[in-house]
Amino acid sequence: MLSIKNLHASVEDKEILKGINLEIKAGEVHAIMGPNGSGKSTLSQVLAGNEAFEVTSGEVTLNGENLLDLETEERAREGIFLAFQYPVEIPGVSNLQFLRTAVNAMRQHRGEEEMNAAEFMKLAREVSKQVDLDPSFLKRGVNEGFSGGEKKRNEILQALLLQPKLAILDETDSGLDIDALKVVSDGVNALRSEDRAILMVTHYQRLLNHIVPDYVHVLAGGRIIKSGGRELALELEEKGYGWLGIKDEEEASN
Amino acid sequence: MKQAPTLSSAFLHPACDQLPEPLLALRKQRASTLVDMPMPTRKTENWKYSAKYLKLDDEMAISLPNEGKTGNSLAVPGYKVVFINGVMVPEASEFPDMDGIAIKRFGDLSIDEASALSLQLGSTLDPKRTQFAHLNGARFEDGLLISLKPGAVLDQPLFIIHETWGDAPGSAYPRIFVDAGANSQMTLVEEYISSGDASLLANTVTEFDLAHGANITSIRLNMEGENVQHIGATGVVQQRSSRFESHCVGFGGPLRRHDLQVRLEGEGGECKLNGVVVTQGKQHYDNHTCIDHVAAHCNSEETYRNIAADKSHAVFNGRIHIHPDAQKSNADMNNKNLLLNSGAEIDTKPELEIYADDVKCAHGATIGQLDEISLFYLVSRGIGRRQANVLLTMAFINELVEQIPVEAVRETAQMRLNEFFEQTFQEA
Repeated sequence: MLSIKNLHASVEDKEILKGINLEIKAGEVHAIMGPNGSGKSTLSQVLAGNEAFEVTSGEVTLNGENLLDLETEERAREGIFLAFQYPVEIPGVSNLQFLRTAVNAMRQHRGEEEMNAAEFMKLAREVSKQVDLDPSFLKRGVNEGFSGGEKKRNEILQALLLQPKLAILDETDSGLDIDALKVVSDGVNALRSEDRAILMVTHYQRLLNHIVPDYVHVLAGGRIIKSGGRELALELEEKGYGWLGIKDEEEASN
Repeated sequence: MKQAPTLSSAFLHPACDQLPEPLLALRKQRASTLVDMPMPTRKTENWKYSAKYLKLDDEMAISLPNEGKTGNSLAVPGYKVVFINGVMVPEASEFPDMDGIAIKRFGDLSIDEASALSLQLGSTLDPKRTQFAHLNGARFEDGLLISLKPGAVLDQPLFIIHETWGDAPGSAYPRIFVDAGANSQMTLVEEYISSGDASLLANTVTEFDLAHGANITSIRLNMEGENVQHIGATGVVQQRSSRFESHCVGFGGPLRRHDLQVRLEGEGGECKLNGVVVTQGKQHYDNHTCIDHVAAHCNSEETYRNIAADKSHAVFNGRIHIHPDAQKSNADMNNKNLLLNSGAEIDTKPELEIYADDVKCAHGATIGQLDEISLFYLVSRGIGRRQANVLLTMAFINELVEQIPVEAVRETAQMRLNEFFEQTFQEA
């Protein structure tokens, strides 16, 4: 489904990604782990199409199509979804209006009829229950005044509504207490399906107790230095990043 | 020495025979004060950002015709009065028929009533800051006196549709006076629209005189076309424990000027002034507000937002004057601005004059641009860039638009603003 070959990317002329190679097939769940500053978030942002990051070389394809040629909104319509590490607060745009606009943009792209306000309200209420978010959050501004956990649940709510082909979760566990982590994980697990892939980016392995990955990759210094199965995460947890010769603090310089 | 240009005398010789004698006398008196009135230049303090947009040719001095047009027949959720070129169209208007509420055209007033009104007209405005209200005073040909007896409550909003229309250049001078008795209540909605394509001037004045305990809401939508220059003034005087709430939504034009002056003369008075202005292309809009805290223990709250795109120009000048006896005044003024292009210009200027020592007076102004991260967030969900820009721009003013207390007007404003922004972001 997703194929990344020798991807290099920079921000403000500083190279962050230094040759990433990764293949993800439909139905698989991959976890990318790494210390702060290793390039995890950059990889997520580059895949989603944030123009603040410049791709200097390499190739990314989604189901054979060149992803890097597409605008951010086109990538989303082709099925890329990024759950933000820091979801953006947008006062003045109601969450409901935002979600419905997004869902209808996708439906329009697929040649389907747009959902009217009443139909959408019904759907949105159901899905918000699934992530344990009170429907009153639909009426508030996008993420406005939401707690950290509520913001993350709102991200998963969006993923459930938009039904992406590839869901990228950027540090989705950060800022969550154990109960919220459970709710968010249940939401992500509900997304798992044979025709969908999930890429989780995380510093800690605790999320992986709830969402069990098929593959684990360790990212350091802008490259994937080790790949393995679920057990790699456990090993990292036990031995720390130092075990692979990575100095967390040093890498955290950006 | 070069002579400063003055208002052309062509503007000062109006013919009119429709009004009672005291109002004709008032017109003459006003016209006499306008002889040799210097035209505003960039050195005129209250016109310095806007004088260059003002273009009053002699041919625009002609009073626009008030026949040959029937007025739009749009239904409104309330009472409706249609003015075309400053003259009421009775066939298109429906007055409320309620005890305690009298609405009369100036032409239908008795000599005594007209005599009383002639003393009130203009009394709510500071003549030094509203030169053009005098022009309206010299030129109005009709007008509406809305009188609310003590305790009268108008059960539905009153809509006044002011249409300026002309196939040849000319000007119109609509005039409204609301005399709100003690503890009376009403909502007045004024919509300014236009038709025809000649160079037109709408020179408007609306006044509110609030006795103690009166509670008045004024909503003003300025939606005239690109051929209309608009110079409007709204004057408000408030007695003890009265409340005035204003919601202005303005779309830019070749020249748009609105002066809003509120004088808090009785203790416990309260005013809330909200304003939204949007400009694009080469449009202009200038809001000058002035709140006079004359009496002690009054509250004023003012929130204005400007959004300027392309090469347009928006101005906000907010004056708060706290008089020596106005102890315990509480004034809060806030102006936020959004510049959508580097070629656009926004001037914002707070003017505080405080002569009492025990007061709370807060003011803040910011100018910013659309947030790139918010934009990325929206488009990353598949929302098109143009739509995302429209959503974010609307978000900047939604808080104010949502406060418009009449649903139909709120929806009209939202729809028109959306259309406006879709045009703004057409190329994006």
